[in-house]
Amino acid sequence: METIKDIINTLTAPEILITLAAILLFVSARYRHLFYTNKVALILFPAMFVFMAISMFDEDFYLIVTKPDNVPIVGMLFLIPFFTWLSMREAVRNDKRTEEGAPLIEKEETADKVLTWPDLVYTELIAIVLLTVLLVGWSILIPAPLEESANPAATPNPSKAPWYFLGLQEMLVYFDPWLAGVVFPGLIIVGLMAIPYIDTNPKGNGYYTFKERSWEIMTFLFGFLILWVLLVILGTFLRGPNWNFFGPYEYWDTHKLEALVNVDLSDYFWVRLLGMGRPDNILVRESVGFLVVLGYFLVPPMLLAKTIFKRFYENLGPARYHIMVFLLLCMASLPIKMVLRWLFNLKYIIGIPEYFFNI
Amino acid sequence: MSQLKDLLSNLSPAKLGEAIQKSQIYRSVFRVGVPVSDRKRMLVMLGNVFLHLHPVKVRKSGIRLRFTWCMGGITFFLFLVLTFTGLLLMFYYRPTIEYAYVDIIDLREQVPLGIMREIHRWGAHAMVISVWLHMFRVFMTGSYKPPREFNWGVGVILLVLTLLLSFTGYLLPWDQLAMWAITVGSNMARATPFAGYEGPGANLLTLGENIPLISSTSDARFALLGGTRVGEMALLRFYVLHCVGLPLVAGFLMAVHFWRIRRDGGISGPL
Amino acid sequence: MSKVNPPRPAAKRGEPADAGRRSFFSWMSLAWVSFTASMLAAGTATARFMFPNVLFEPPLTFRAGRPEELQVGIVDERFKDSNQVWLVRDGGGIYALSTTCTHLGCTPNWLSAEQKFKCPCHGSGFYITGINFEGPAPRPLERFAIDLADDGQLVIDKGRKFQQEKGQWELPGAYLEF
Repeated sequence: METIKDIINTLTAPEILITLAAILLFVSARYRHLFYTNKVALILFPAMFVFMAISMFDEDFYLIVTKPDNVPIVGMLFLIPFFTWLSMREAVRNDKRTEEGAPLIEKEETADKVLTWPDLVYTELIAIVLLTVLLVGWSILIPAPLEESANPAATPNPSKAPWYFLGLQEMLVYFDPWLAGVVFPGLIIVGLMAIPYIDTNPKGNGYYTFKERSWEIMTFLFGFLILWVLLVILGTFLRGPNWNFFGPYEYWDTHKLEALVNVDLSDYFWVRLLGMGRPDNILVRESVGFLVVLGYFLVPPMLLAKTIFKRFYENLGPARYHIMVFLLLCMASLPIKMVLRWLFNLKYIIGIPEYFFNI
Repeated sequence: MSQLKDLLSNLSPAKLGEAIQKSQIYRSVFRVGVPVSDRKRMLVMLGNVFLHLHPVKVRKSGIRLRFTWCMGGITFFLFLVLTFTGLLLMFYYRPTIEYAYVDIIDLREQVPLGIMREIHRWGAHAMVISVWLHMFRVFMTGSYKPPREFNWGVGVILLVLTLLLSFTGYLLPWDQLAMWAITVGSNMARATPFAGYEGPGANLLTLGENIPLISSTSDARFALLGGTRVGEMALLRFYVLHCVGLPLVAGFLMAVHFWRIRRDGGISGPL
Repeated sequence: MSKVNPPRPAAKRGEPADAGRRSFFSWMSLAWVSFTASMLAAGTATARFMFPNVLFEPPLTFRAGRPEELQVGIVDERFKDSNQVWLVRDGGGIYALSTTCTHLGCTPNWLSAEQKFKCPCHGSGFYITGINFEGPAPRPLERFAIDLADDGQLVIDKGRKFQQEKGQWELPGAYLEF
């Protein structure tokens, strides 16, 4: 038992967990005919449930899962995978029908129009009644979280943002607040709103399909499931005192020591590569970083337009294409910075704390 | 004696119901009456201002549970629940440092039906999840594509408003959880480029030689908190935003959102 | 009873009409410009409304006891709760460190066993001097102006801050030689 716990504790380390989840997402999409089926769901979801139930016998696991503010995330742990599975199952079914020349599931009934009263109105009534019962039951069973009265002098350890912002807080490990807390959230909002104007693929409008828009769906799933939901879960369950990582069965030890000595790119370049001191002039010191960042945003769009994104460039035109690639590069910068941190302890690519300009 | 018997037989539930339905009051309120025929079922949808949110007829495929998941409707219902319970909570809660925390405890210990705050809190969490799932479903069915581009944008703003509503509400219990979550959250505003005093570019904005334009008492965070720290003014500001400001904006945009669903081709389905 | 309305020459008819349209447009543009300007002014004034002039917060300057009360190498936490300041005395003098983490404004804890300030929010670590050495904090803790008053008490002025990365720790006021 202890060995299993140890293995799970190791596997849930951020670098391994995020990598494994990304692999699972892509492999399951590649073999979606086998993965998103009723059989898999009948095994997977009960297995998840049993796993949770057994784990509750572990004291540390029990403590973190039953923390009042974490209850909704435990629900989300089941809801999000379930609905991902459901939508992908529908998509696989529809794709199969299209291949066989049969009409879509939705299309079979499109012509059928039903009266809103009673068909829809009663569905809504039932949903409302069930939800009310759920909400009242939940409220009676579990008191809402309330800690000690606010004290500006005593910072609790760990201090966490509201759970739905924990993805952003996890991002703060890799980026400075002006990026993780201001620029990226802004870009997420703008990027989401831009989706309908960038995605000009006319197919897949109003029905589940994977094959006809696999690129769009994979990008969205990666962003939503890995870079948002998974980071929320990671921040909720696996980040303990001092924002250190703790496995699900690990005791939250305030004194756990973790070497967090990170190195700037300018250090790598001037000190370790060239063997000299860091130049005093800020612009010279950070010139490498500026080149890297500028190169990152300028070179790939041009290269991609000629190679694998040629199709996009021709279909979208330059304006749409460049906006799309810019948003994608911003999105990709998070996993890239993560990997750089895990592999090289890289702190800043550009580090100018004098002007609060760190990337 | 026989008259009394007649009277009693007239008082049977069925006959009573009939009498009520024939009364002038009932017919003035429910013009159409009980929707028993298809014609009346259509008329009831047209005649009722709330039901009028829906069309008279809908695609059968569009209202299949495995297609729509009902998440948009659930989100709206949760918004109504939160408005109602929030209104009730406002009768007891005073947004000052002195009373806020005590009032929250009283809401559980002293106020009758001590689960009002629980419903409000859990409902808010549930609403965040249901909004995410609604967006997820709309994406997976490609329902943001023309002609629904604009409504997707409105939806994204509503998602942000939901998060902001939840965030502003987080401070109100004035406990450690609230205080530090908002401290961490609001400190990000300190790093806003140019507008936060620890943001990149802020120290380039100066009056003359060395009077900084953006300082800890004139930056974005200061405007948000009404002070340099999470204190009395911050509590009041978050309270006003939570109870009046943001719900008004959200309600306005919801009206646009629902109206555009009808205008842009009804609930989604294959074209 | 004039029965004839003599037709006016075409040139004369066109001229005043053109001029009228032109003046109309210039009036319109003036109206739009002033409308936009007044809306901008109203917006700015409303935004300014959100910045209070008077704060109900503790004063920025406070007295912190006599310097002899501090021991060399010990972080004094008496003013952490009330004024968000640590006083540290080293071999040569005394400095006042801000208790606000430079990452996201949490309050770090002084861990005397490990001789470091450790922030519970995101794990930033600072030496006793305030220099950051681990975690996401981008720069050292700030120091506040420190001086001796006439009565021999320390005076801390939180209105003046000194940032190490800008070389301000060398400035007078950042460090009280004692």
